Amino acid sequence: MTAVSGAVLVGMADIQVLRGGGQLTCLGLGSCIGLCGFDPVSKVAGMVHVMLPEAFAGKLVEKPGKFADTGIPALLEAMKKAGAETSRIIFAMAGGAQVFKFGANAESRLDIGARNAVAVTNALKQLGMKVVASDTGGNNGRTVNFTVETGAFTVRTVTAGEKTLCNLKG
Amino acid sequence: MRDNSATPILTLEDIVAKTSDLPSLPAAALAVMRETDSPTGTAQSIARYLSQDQALTARILRLANSAYYGLARQIIDVSDAVVVLGMRCIRNLCMVASTYPWMVKPLKGYGLGPKEMWTHSFAVAVGAQLIAQRSRSTVSDQAFTAGLLHNLGKVALSIWLEDKMAGMLAIACREGLTFDQVERKMLGFDHCDVGSHMGEGWNLPKPLVEAMRFHHNPNACDPANPLVDCVHVADYLTMSMGLGLGGDGLRYDFQEEALLRLGLTPESFDELAEEFMIAYEQHEKLFEDAA
Repeated sequence: MTAVSGAVLVGMADIQVLRGGGQLTCLGLGSCIGLCGFDPVSKVAGMVHVMLPEAFAGKLVEKPGKFADTGIPALLEAMKKAGAETSRIIFAMAGGAQVFKFGANAESRLDIGARNAVAVTNALKQLGMKVVASDTGGNNGRTVNFTVETGAFTVRTVTAGEKTLCNLKG
Repeated sequence: MRDNSATPILTLEDIVAKTSDLPSLPAAALAVMRETDSPTGTAQSIARYLSQDQALTARILRLANSAYYGLARQIIDVSDAVVVLGMRCIRNLCMVASTYPWMVKPLKGYGLGPKEMWTHSFAVAVGAQLIAQRSRSTVSDQAFTAGLLHNLGKVALSIWLEDKMAGMLAIACREGLTFDQVERKMLGFDHCDVGSHMGEGWNLPKPLVEAMRFHHNPNACDPANPLVDCVHVADYLTMSMGLGLGGDGLRYDFQEEALLRLGLTPESFDELAEEFMIAYEQHEKLFEDAA
């Protein structure tokens, strides 16, 4: 999947924040989630590329963006530092793809994609945050992009091309 | 399960005979693989085989002298490289140097852009090696090579599937099939069959051929082969992490039994995923300037 020219790439476990303009992109999401928050008033946008649902107990978290439970508070903090107002931030998310089928005895524990989607949704709910659109599950890899100027959150797959999932300008 | 409802338009032999620019492994690389598997293989015998292929030797030396290894002095010949880096490392470098040139090409038939097949294959190689080590399996020396070569069949099949991806995915969605099942439905065989057929033609060791043949269906490998299981689990991790995903995406099955046969548990899977990504990112640096 090709990068969007000039966009800030949000690599695995990264958190990136922009203010005023520009684009944020997560390339080639499999089971990972690309979560984007936007405050339309301050025009502060943030994106995190979540890899796993939760941090490991007793293990130092070097990159909070790696996990849903540490990544979402860290994303909010980074956006607030850039001038966003928590109560105005709205979110969109995509990713969390799954393999076609697990073995007969497979537990959902192995389904990282579905668990990531649930963990991100729960973490946002706990913080009282609002997700306006999500495109998760399925078997396709995705590239997500957010454009600050237009508020457009797009999702691209190899087969379906690029589609606008929602507009976070409200 | 093989679906023979469609009349095959090609045979496996056709794929090998009629595909232009079919990948190959240099004879020296195959000899190095044999020597490192053999109890009688020595640094001298490996160096002797490699010295017969100057182009391969040059690529191996470039990799060995890359920043990744951070060696205090420059390695100037293959004998030196084998002594300093060890036989297993040279074997892996040899495989990387041999496969990189054809794996970086785009595979339109699978919706893969330039380098994406390489990214995926290299990640599965690193993952399979890591999983073999974690499971304390005796196959860790072969796991890297098995991972690197597991999708060889896609490289050969791609050209025959160009412009067919959308139709194949439509069939997959309509009939609830995995992508390899759709390949079998349309062609009578899948990329696993093609890869293992080519591997047999190269006289690769049987466990490696089985890793190509059964990497999407390890439960069908009888008796079970830990190399197959390592590649299957590594392939799942690689797809999950979105490394080199094509149009077929994650449209494959994961057989939990492979994980259990390796002595690993679903409870430890997240930590394995984290370890895998750390290992991949470290190894990837090797190729930033050298490959």
